[in-house]
Amino acid sequence: MAPSISLLIDSDLDKVAHIARAVRGVCTGLLAAEEADAVELSVVEAINNVIKHGYHGQPGQDVQVIVGLHPDRVVIEIVDHAPPMQAGLIEQASEDLFSFDATNLDDVPEGGMGLALIRMNMDEVEYSAGSGENRLRMVKRVEAPAG
Amino acid sequence: MLTSELRNNVLVVHVTEKRVDASKAPLFKDEMTRCIDDGHHQLVLDLSGVDFVDSSGLGAIVSCLKRLGPRGSLAVAGAKGAVSRLFTLTRMDKVFALHDTVDAAVEQLSA
Repeated sequence: MAPSISLLIDSDLDKVAHIARAVRGVCTGLLAAEEADAVELSVVEAINNVIKHGYHGQPGQDVQVIVGLHPDRVVIEIVDHAPPMQAGLIEQASEDLFSFDATNLDDVPEGGMGLALIRMNMDEVEYSAGSGENRLRMVKRVEAPAG
Repeated sequence: MLTSELRNNVLVVHVTEKRVDASKAPLFKDEMTRCIDDGHHQLVLDLSGVDFVDSSGLGAIVSCLKRLGPRGSLAVAGAKGAVSRLFTLTRMDKVFALHDTVDAAVEQLSA
């Protein structure tokens, strides 16, 4: 079985940086710097979404991050117990958000970029909700596997 | 989280936090807005000390540009690594003038 590490934080935006650094540390050695950047950003965006939209900023709720290290990929699961995300949001999020007219400031997005960034930075993204638990599963493939 | 200095009538704003994320974005936006509302309309945002920006941080930077609107300019200097790649990935490098150094950005804005 591939080694896996589970991290748990309270739903507090101030704590997201700590867990992001921890996840990055766990992946060091397996991922190149740019891949680690992509994973770190995706983890932060996913947890921010849970805290801001799932728990509506309310502290004292749990957010769990499970990091699975495989020779050819890193699998990250974000688990929470907030009300589930609206169906289809992940599938609808895409890089089209950034096809704005750069000469028209009104067209440039200020928010709602998190899910699109996750999909652009990870190789696979799946969301499941049931029995009071939500799980976002994100996979980053290792471009140059060791060995 | 910001310090600033005036160079050739351009306000150079240095970000003193290493991360501009969802926990810091509201404060960042407040402090930047104060600079703009104080009458500074030529600004350089120095990100050379920043190693991580998330979509909330990026959104806050965009929101400052929108607040400034056509009356001024907001250039970005010193973005590197993951921060620079975030600008490229989101095509914000087409929205902001990105400069390697603060000096280059100031020179451009004060020309």
